[in-house]
Amino acid sequence: MQRFCARRWACRFAVHHGLFADLRVPMLRLVTCVVLVGCVSSVVADESATSRPAAEVSYETSIGPLLKENCQKCHGAERQEGGYRVDIRQIAMKGGDSEEVAIVAHQPDQSRLLRVLRGTDESGLRMPPEDEAEALAEEEIKRIEDWIAAGADWPDALAGDADAALETDQWAFQPLQQPTVPQLQDPWVASPIDAFVLQKLRATGLEPSARAPGARLTRRLYLDMLGLPPEPAVVQSTADGGDALDGDLLEYERLVDSVLADFGHGERWSRHWLDVIRFGESDGFETNPERQRAYPFRDYVIDSLNDDKPYDEFVREQIAGDALGVDVATGFLVAGPYDRVKSPDINLTLMQRQDELADIVNTTGTAFLGLTVGCARCHNHKFDPITQEDYYSMQAVFAGVNHGERALRTPASQEALARLDQLRAQVAATDQSLRSLAQYCRSDQSRAEGQLREPVNATGNVEQFAPIAARWIRLQIHATSGSSEPCIDELEVFGAVSGDAAERTNVALAKHGAKVSASGTLPGYAIHQLKHLNDGQFGNAHSWIADSSGAAWVEIELPAVITIDRIAWARDREGQFGDRVITGYTFEVATEHGQWQVVASSDDRRPFGDSQPNPYAFVQQLPAEHAEHAQLLLAELDKLRDELRQLETLAVPMAYVGNFSQPGPTYRLYRGDPMAPREQVSPNSVRVIGELGLGTDAAEAERRLTFANWITASDNPLTARVIVNRVWQHHFGVGLVPTASDFGAAGVPPTHPELLDWLAAELIKHDWSLKWLHRTILLSNTYQQDCVPRPDCMAQDAGSRLLWRYPPRRLEAEAIRDCVLAVAGNLNRQAGGRGFLAFDVQAETVHHYFAKTDWGPNEWRRMVYMTKIRQEQDDVFGLFDCPDGGQVMPTRSRSTTPLQALNLLNSEFMLQQGAAMAKQLQIEYGDDDQAIIRAAFQRAYSRDPDADEMRWSCELIDEFGRPAFCRAILNSNEFLFLN
Amino acid sequence: MKRWQSQPLLMNRRRFLGETATGLSSIALTHLLAQQGMLRADQPDQTESAPWRPSIDPRQPNAARPPHFDAAAKNVIVIFCSGACSHLDTWDYKPELLRLHGQPMPGENVVTFQGEQGNLTRSPWTFHPRGESGKMVSTLVDHLGELADDMCFIHSMTSKTNTHGPGENFMSTGNTLDGFPSMGAWVTYALGSENDNLPAYVAIPDPRGKPQASVNNWGPGFLPAVFQATDFNATQPVRHLQRPESLAPDVDVATRAFLDRLNRHHLETQLPGDTELAARIASYELAAKMQLSVPQVSDLSTEPDHVLKLYGADDTENPLKAAFARNCILARRLIESGVRFVQLFNGAYQTGGEGTSNWDGHKVLEKQYSVHGPVLDQPAAGLLKDLKQRGLLSNTLVVWCTEFGRMPTFQKGASGRDHNPAGFTCWLMGAGVKRGFSYGATDEFGYRAVEDVATVYDLHATVLHLLG
Repeated sequence: MQRFCARRWACRFAVHHGLFADLRVPMLRLVTCVVLVGCVSSVVADESATSRPAAEVSYETSIGPLLKENCQKCHGAERQEGGYRVDIRQIAMKGGDSEEVAIVAHQPDQSRLLRVLRGTDESGLRMPPEDEAEALAEEEIKRIEDWIAAGADWPDALAGDADAALETDQWAFQPLQQPTVPQLQDPWVASPIDAFVLQKLRATGLEPSARAPGARLTRRLYLDMLGLPPEPAVVQSTADGGDALDGDLLEYERLVDSVLADFGHGERWSRHWLDVIRFGESDGFETNPERQRAYPFRDYVIDSLNDDKPYDEFVREQIAGDALGVDVATGFLVAGPYDRVKSPDINLTLMQRQDELADIVNTTGTAFLGLTVGCARCHNHKFDPITQEDYYSMQAVFAGVNHGERALRTPASQEALARLDQLRAQVAATDQSLRSLAQYCRSDQSRAEGQLREPVNATGNVEQFAPIAARWIRLQIHATSGSSEPCIDELEVFGAVSGDAAERTNVALAKHGAKVSASGTLPGYAIHQLKHLNDGQFGNAHSWIADSSGAAWVEIELPAVITIDRIAWARDREGQFGDRVITGYTFEVATEHGQWQVVASSDDRRPFGDSQPNPYAFVQQLPAEHAEHAQLLLAELDKLRDELRQLETLAVPMAYVGNFSQPGPTYRLYRGDPMAPREQVSPNSVRVIGELGLGTDAAEAERRLTFANWITASDNPLTARVIVNRVWQHHFGVGLVPTASDFGAAGVPPTHPELLDWLAAELIKHDWSLKWLHRTILLSNTYQQDCVPRPDCMAQDAGSRLLWRYPPRRLEAEAIRDCVLAVAGNLNRQAGGRGFLAFDVQAETVHHYFAKTDWGPNEWRRMVYMTKIRQEQDDVFGLFDCPDGGQVMPTRSRSTTPLQALNLLNSEFMLQQGAAMAKQLQIEYGDDDQAIIRAAFQRAYSRDPDADEMRWSCELIDEFGRPAFCRAILNSNEFLFLN
Repeated sequence: MKRWQSQPLLMNRRRFLGETATGLSSIALTHLLAQQGMLRADQPDQTESAPWRPSIDPRQPNAARPPHFDAAAKNVIVIFCSGACSHLDTWDYKPELLRLHGQPMPGENVVTFQGEQGNLTRSPWTFHPRGESGKMVSTLVDHLGELADDMCFIHSMTSKTNTHGPGENFMSTGNTLDGFPSMGAWVTYALGSENDNLPAYVAIPDPRGKPQASVNNWGPGFLPAVFQATDFNATQPVRHLQRPESLAPDVDVATRAFLDRLNRHHLETQLPGDTELAARIASYELAAKMQLSVPQVSDLSTEPDHVLKLYGADDTENPLKAAFARNCILARRLIESGVRFVQLFNGAYQTGGEGTSNWDGHKVLEKQYSVHGPVLDQPAAGLLKDLKQRGLLSNTLVVWCTEFGRMPTFQKGASGRDHNPAGFTCWLMGAGVKRGFSYGATDEFGYRAVEDVATVYDLHATVLHLLG
């Protein structure tokens, strides 16, 4: 079989995406590496196009041999420079990787092949290359031109097999094998894993290592599976002083099961998955605001792993959870960065959309399939059988996905929604019963019909009542608009003297001898004084404001008892201010101070701001025999409505899980340029593996669901291999395929292909149970080996890739931080929910994040709960190769830098934890330094100090104190290493 | 029993226990050299089909690595003017703009980042011929103009985006998206550093703060964290560099000696020969060296007055300029000390809105550039002159760049220019670069690159080419 990418451009690091062209400015020459390219649409030539009369040229006798002689060496079966070949009709016509028209029948001037042969193409490209061969003779080029002009007739018999180009012998695209487990008669083989590993070791002349000591194994298991050190008691109990585990496999098996059942497992391993899918909790790019509701997806991942959700289900939900009743899972689709800065410039808008979709397509291809699909955005993939059409077909699958929040229909919210329906029905029924009581109302028709008074307003309110004798008039204030302190510009009281109404006067004026008092006055304002209440002047500048936003009162004492029948008051009769309006009040009068009689209140007014009458106002007018029942109904209604309001705001929580809409057509974009659309594509997969069979008009959710089903079909050769490899990678530090997200030709092939396939096949058989996979690996002797280096093995396999030992490695940032907190006794195990921020945020258009310098229990949660702000790393631990969620990060690098050392040595965070650890140990062990040292070693290293270590530690503590000792322990290699 | 517990172990445990000791005690020591080919996964074969990767010793990830061929440049200084510095008010002289000032730009109605265009507008600054080459340079950058004969202008730069964040990403990483390694990261990844007690790669943020794409400009992307820049400037030291004051010096020294002892003991007794552990021990030694060398290199007090004057670091009238000048002196000192890659930022995204603290002159270009010009001009010119007089320019490449250009028109209803990725200017200077030369051109108004159109990729390729 012809290998698909037998020889392509050496796609060097950075050159590929950053440095495609080579500009040598000083030399005044611009040499651009251009690939011979063509356009699909030209394959079917327009027969009606103006054809020039041309001499009859035969492909078979003239053109074929010409192309073969001059081009086939680099553009044939052996090599396909630029993805172009002249021996297969379809590709010769269509063009190479960048898909520009090569040959358009009848149209020589549209045929790039001719321009390239003549060196007149705008790219400056000439074929054959100038440094390799002379240009073709003009006569020969003319012959090709004539052939094209005549219709580029190319007999079917000589067309070549176009499908051959889409075949591949890349291992990862081949169906999963069911390898036979090697039958090795060796006591070391405790599991098929061991058989495969031992077979390979033996073939290389290596032998596996002895089993790790019990304490070391316990610590390894905890750090690996939970990201936390085992409590000394666990090490003790499983190992009886650290060694019994050596002899007790059953005990080890119980320990494995206990860590698999521990909630910390999901907290630890969710981080691995979140790396792979570039999960972040801010938008990234220049504005970078926090996404306050992205965390439900993080919790979903934690819970899925802890619940051992079958991996295929986990995948399907993340791609199409909305169609599967798991809304939160689609957080996967929009977990990446999002450029929020929009512009009227259409070029920018289209490119931004392309970038958003590229993020989704690339992540999907990488996370689930281990393929660098994103490489095919601008040209056919340089190494793998992924065409540009495949890329845009996959883009069509996700073309309806948009960034943003969506309501979550969780089981809890479903329940709440059901309750909502129920409540609404109850409210309607109660409302009906209540209204039916209106018939029993007494004569006051206006009130019985719910004709309440106008709501209060800011510019003037009048209380009219039956004439009543009064010496004191009191206003009790219960409520004010905006819950602020109430304001009155003037309180007028009118006497009910006989005669013309115009003669009535405001008897409350100070100048008539009335005195005013109040519960309190807002201090400090000359324009807001108590005396303004009855000074006869209107407006805000002559008003009174209470000193309390709650209850307040105002009292006016008239010089004598006067019969009154009207009170007028306002917030601001000049109409400048509409705030601080009293909305709940009672007016009372008395002739003897203390014997108050209510004359008016807000009870018979419609609510402030409500232009609709209160339909239940009649209740107050009901005769006693009905009033009680009505009040009960009213109370019931209030209760129901309260619950309704609460549920309506809470029932359906929002989360950053994306929105979906039916997309328009998707086109293949020439060189990825949104302004250069080519043919329309339908939603599809990477066709070398399979097809979705969807039309261009397929419904949005159906596209994703079909795609998800295709990914998780048991005959998809990649999905199971990729996840098995990822799990293996985190257990052993390196995957069986070290390029965990590139199973293509540019990746590195597996060290143990049969083992990979066996695990993948078994995973599917075990219902895609990841915990089965963990358990199988953890129970293998391969995993339980010791980590001690052996010179002979190091000489052959320094990277321990063949697993002659357990490969030791530094812990990741999150595990280091969690372990520091755990050992210091400060770890807060609060699980799930809104995360904590490592930054103080300056939230403007552009969000600025400043590292916190103060920490407490809220920040002492596990680091998986640290809100993942893109571009900004945790001040202390970020430098430990923590990804920022900008791009997929399947394999973290593990670098060692002096800045890491400085962070652990000198940061306030670490000093605080060192001191806390010292204090905690002192609380437990008092002044017994030996006991303190032993406990510190047990907590940090799961072992006792040896004599040297004990002596050095005592010396240090003697002279420089316990915090110094703890600071050193928290910086030590052994503490930071998983081995 | 749970679903995942159903797989039985293949082996009888009792038998295992009985045989483990003997089974594992005899370890074959045969060297099957012929089989080593299968181990290439550790070091991917460097054939044409596999990506090339440098071989990096984890104990000395920044050790110098040889270039592919003779390099003209050993070190790089990038002067990055954040906010999109207008080429039309600095380096790209357009007489047509003077002639057609106040008239609409001929051709289609262009809608740019913030919307519609007003009329063509000449620069508020005048252009003069400078040096022997007679290069027309604006008075906004008068001091830099003195060096026009040493510069190699690329007037036909184009970008792929007209938003600052992606634009800075693109210029600094070669990709508009977040998450890719910065130029300095790939350079130090490939070449390491000549210096073992300073970072290989330093980013010097503007005194006013970080640029718009923030740490993306000097991040490691998917490369190991060791290859990202250490960011500090003349006023803000490296974070956590020094022992906190709450710790007495003798306690610190004793603690670190104890730590070293523990680590070495652990290495010897538990994992002899482990390179990663050794690398961590070395990193603490390096950290100690850095604690001495970074303050040394950042200590400008030894700089004589005439140097401070050259850079404008003595300007008491303009403290911002003096602060940037100190950053420029720091850049020179870092290069002198063998730091491979220095990024010097001019302009920051800070509170106060667009263009206030960077080159994003949308609304009141003349007013804002009158602030930014002097901050950049003399200090950057001082740096170039100083490099030149010390002979450092012969193997130091200086790149002046910005994320994109600005429009020849003023925005409708404003007195500033909108974003323009269709044409702008960058220049190079120093190691191996043609002097007093201009490459490419924009159209008669300076709107669009039309002659020898160059991309950011081209610029990066040139930098890499010069580095070998």
